[in-house]
Amino acid sequence: MENTVIKINNLVKRYGDLIALDHLELEIKQGEIFGLLGPNGSGKTTTINCLLSLLAFDKGDIEIFGKKMTPVSYDIKKEIGVIMQNVTVFDELTVYENIDYFCGLYINDKAKRKQYVEDAIKFVELGDFRKFYPKKLSGGLLRRLNIACGIAHKPKLIILDEPTVAVDPQSRNRILEGIQELNKNGATVIYTSHYMEEVEQICTRIAIMDKGKKIAEGTKDELKRMIKNTETITIEILDIPENILKEISGLPHVYDTDLSNGKLTVCCSGGKHNLTRVLDVLQRNELSFGRVYTELPTLNDVFLEITGTALRDKEE
Amino acid sequence: MFLHIFKYELKNGLRTKDLIIWLILFPILLGTCFKIAFGSIYEKTEKFRSIPVAVVDDGDNAAFRQVIESIESADEPFLKATFTDKEKAEKMLDDGDVEGIIFTADKLSLTVKEKGIKETMLKSFVEQYTVREKIVMDAINTAPEKAQEVIASLTSDTASSCKEIPLTQGNPDPYVQYFYNLIAMVAMFGSITGMHITIQNQADLSPLGARNNCSPAPKSISIAACLAGSYIMQTVCMINCVTFLAFVLKVDFGDRLWLVYPSAILGGILGVSFGFFVGSIARVSIKAKTAILMSVSMALCFCSGLMVGNMKAVIAGKIPWFNNINPAAVISDSFYCLNIYEDYDRFISKLITMAVTSAAFIVLGFVISRRKKYASI
Amino acid sequence: MQVFKAMFKVMRSRLPSAMIYVVCFVVISAIIANASTNDNKFEAKRLDISIFDEDDTPESHALAEIIKKSNDIVEIEKDKDTILDSLYYRRIDYALIINKGYADKLRAGETAELFSSYHLDESFSVVYMGQFLDEYVSTVKAYLNMGKSFDEAAASAEQALSQNAKVNMLSRIDKGGNSHFSVDFAGYFQYMPYILISIIISVVSLVLVTMNRKDIRFRTNCSCLKESKYTAQLFIGSFVFVFFIWLVFMIFGAILNREMYTGRAWLAVLNSFIFAIVVATMAVLVASFEPKDNVLNLITQVLGLGMSFFCGIFIPVEVLGDGVLSAARFLPAYWYVKANNMIADITPYSFSEVVECYLIQLGFAAAMIIITLLVRKVKYSGAAISTAVKKKALTH
Repeated sequence: MENTVIKINNLVKRYGDLIALDHLELEIKQGEIFGLLGPNGSGKTTTINCLLSLLAFDKGDIEIFGKKMTPVSYDIKKEIGVIMQNVTVFDELTVYENIDYFCGLYINDKAKRKQYVEDAIKFVELGDFRKFYPKKLSGGLLRRLNIACGIAHKPKLIILDEPTVAVDPQSRNRILEGIQELNKNGATVIYTSHYMEEVEQICTRIAIMDKGKKIAEGTKDELKRMIKNTETITIEILDIPENILKEISGLPHVYDTDLSNGKLTVCCSGGKHNLTRVLDVLQRNELSFGRVYTELPTLNDVFLEITGTALRDKEE
Repeated sequence: MFLHIFKYELKNGLRTKDLIIWLILFPILLGTCFKIAFGSIYEKTEKFRSIPVAVVDDGDNAAFRQVIESIESADEPFLKATFTDKEKAEKMLDDGDVEGIIFTADKLSLTVKEKGIKETMLKSFVEQYTVREKIVMDAINTAPEKAQEVIASLTSDTASSCKEIPLTQGNPDPYVQYFYNLIAMVAMFGSITGMHITIQNQADLSPLGARNNCSPAPKSISIAACLAGSYIMQTVCMINCVTFLAFVLKVDFGDRLWLVYPSAILGGILGVSFGFFVGSIARVSIKAKTAILMSVSMALCFCSGLMVGNMKAVIAGKIPWFNNINPAAVISDSFYCLNIYEDYDRFISKLITMAVTSAAFIVLGFVISRRKKYASI
Repeated sequence: MQVFKAMFKVMRSRLPSAMIYVVCFVVISAIIANASTNDNKFEAKRLDISIFDEDDTPESHALAEIIKKSNDIVEIEKDKDTILDSLYYRRIDYALIINKGYADKLRAGETAELFSSYHLDESFSVVYMGQFLDEYVSTVKAYLNMGKSFDEAAASAEQALSQNAKVNMLSRIDKGGNSHFSVDFAGYFQYMPYILISIIISVVSLVLVTMNRKDIRFRTNCSCLKESKYTAQLFIGSFVFVFFIWLVFMIFGAILNREMYTGRAWLAVLNSFIFAIVVATMAVLVASFEPKDNVLNLITQVLGLGMSFFCGIFIPVEVLGDGVLSAARFLPAYWYVKANNMIADITPYSFSEVVECYLIQLGFAAAMIIITLLVRKVKYSGAAISTAVKKKALTH
């Protein structure tokens, strides 16, 4: 069942001199949770807006469900659920009415719609807030309402544009679980975020974007394999003489060391027993140290290596 | 689909506090203020009433007393005289109980407090009396045998030399037009409602618009449903306003009140369509759009006479075509025609103007907002 | 002084709209001050009249000339609708038709239906012109009856009618004591309450509502700032703003007046200051209900327009109905206007009555403060914050 749901070909979008999307190519298959990862301003939202035919673009074409996407492709739009970056609900309508309104744009059958709205309310656990106005909801609940409005009509393709910005961890986990659940029920999901943990946690395939370009694509393991880093060792230590630091740098597989803030960071690429070798050097020189931990490469390392800048730095 | 969006547009609108405040409560407030201010000003200052006057008759002028008596015996006397002494008369004038004091000593003289039409009439009365006195004296001196005849010709002839051609059966109070303009203002405020339609349906104006654009509901249907909903709400506001003015404040709209309603409603539709059109032309922030529409609406209402009553007449003298395209002026004119003119020609032409401009605004608005993709969001 | 500073930062956001009020008011005042004349000589009112001469004879022309002497002739199209519009919108006061055959009839001594006039309503102007025409006709007839020829009679009538009666103006300036505060200048002070209400309530209430917002108040209560000091700073801040706005108006007033206030004008200055204080207490009261932004706008309009129309700010007190006036007694602006009118000698002046008006206004201010305290007590008595404060007070 490896059907292509979305195919973006050679997409170019300019804002005056600024190139927002630079010859972007994407292909998303059915059943995937596809993550679009990148710092703010990298072109994620622009991609989504072009995909939805909201933005006019300069070059390229977009196909959804094998058909060309245009502003009047209502049969395609019917199958898409959109959750925008901003909370887009009516302040004057209650939780129930908001969901019913947006669901009603897709589904005409009243009885069916009622069932769907109830399902959506149950899904985002807003049952106790049915009659509440959005202004009375907390940030996390509001985000959940925003999601409910987007998915109530049970779309085949769900596009989520940073749905977890400014959401507490509990609500965030609930949202992420929900997305996985929707995916299990058969929906293809596109998920944009600048939180790598989220993307790592749920996405089956990931594209990393920067400055309008796709700089890497694959499953998370594929991405991590692209870079030389395999292990980062961190040791809490007060001071290391210069010569010992050099010795560590000279160990096999070690390609970078750094000592700052009482922490020694050793980056290794491949090989085994890296930690033992480092600790061995310290012990031989009778240096006392505090906590020791090692990390496997994260998407941040991937991003860092590919672009030379940290993804985290750009977080708001 | 249409009914679904329509239903929610109504729900949405009726819960918008600003709408209730500015289209329902504010007109009631302003109408009440206008009623207090202009309710009795016409009766008190312009409509003819007997002019109260104090007479200080030191010289015991019997002839003058006789004239006053004969004037006061008329059905609607021109003067209402009080004979008193100088001090009391001045006190009365000072307190505004009388408009002037006539001193009868040797030569008639007049003392007044202001410079208005009533004072001018008193002056003219004093002059007239002096003239007649002179004529009678002339007659007695030059042709005493004809004196009787002359006096007769001056006094007996009560047939008026001037025939009045009535122009209207309507309410001649010019201050009523403040209420016409108040209704026009409510209609123009509808432009804000109309503007929200575009904002809600254009992806580049609001996130909500972007989301609505992603749905399979065709834009034309969505806009049409929103328009219909806004028209209904505006109609409710217009009916509320006219009803309040006519039945609570008892403003006299002439004898065809039932026709005031449809023309007010059509005015409301014009206002909403105007806002819908303006909302769709420029891509600026909602705040800026609201500010632009509010100031344009208020400026149009000003030109139509909401703040200064005879503004419309001034414009009619300077740039007459403007009154025919200023929506506020057209709306308030329709009420005026209904009140003043016997026939329906001008009223109908105003209605047609409103209908045609509304239709033009709607068509243009649709054409502009038909755009499906946006250069930027 | 932190609270104080923060208040002025919040005020800044409202300043543009407040400035629009100030500028509009000053410009309009300046225009009015320049347009009005200050002489006290009586001038007869000139009516705007349209004449349609259907007779077109030397006699009718002569009449038109006589009318023209004391009135202004306005040329308009002889179209019923145009005439009706012009009459309704007071472009003309009277539309006269000199009927065909006017000269012949008059020569024959006939006076009936020499003229026609388009009639909208029975206004003073209509009655006045009717009388004038009758008078002219009967004077001519009287001279004819005296045996004069028609031309002589017409000339004599014109001469007789052109004589001028002496009219004295009853002017309080003659009575002395008020060269300090002219009627025009009183107008400036008369319109001031509307602007004071609009600005002070919209700005001060907004600031107080913002500063008293639950989250901000809680946060402030958590700080080491004493509650009483906080309130005192709010109070001083509001007062400084009100004083500043009032001062601006006083300075503009002095500029418009082209000289410093003198004599009785100071009473008007004091009057406006007292009113500003009343409005400030009103603003505090409004703020204690914590209205939303749009509701606050409506309240401002209600108070501003309502008082202006009810109490004779926009329109002179004498054209208001008696019922309106008796209701207006319960509003502070009524007493402000009353004092202002007395100071300007528009109504008879009495120092003790002016002071009475001051005291009544101050009474309103006191009432406003008491109500504010009551409202606050009712509102916050259940709140955790105030119970905590009470407990603290008890333990100490």
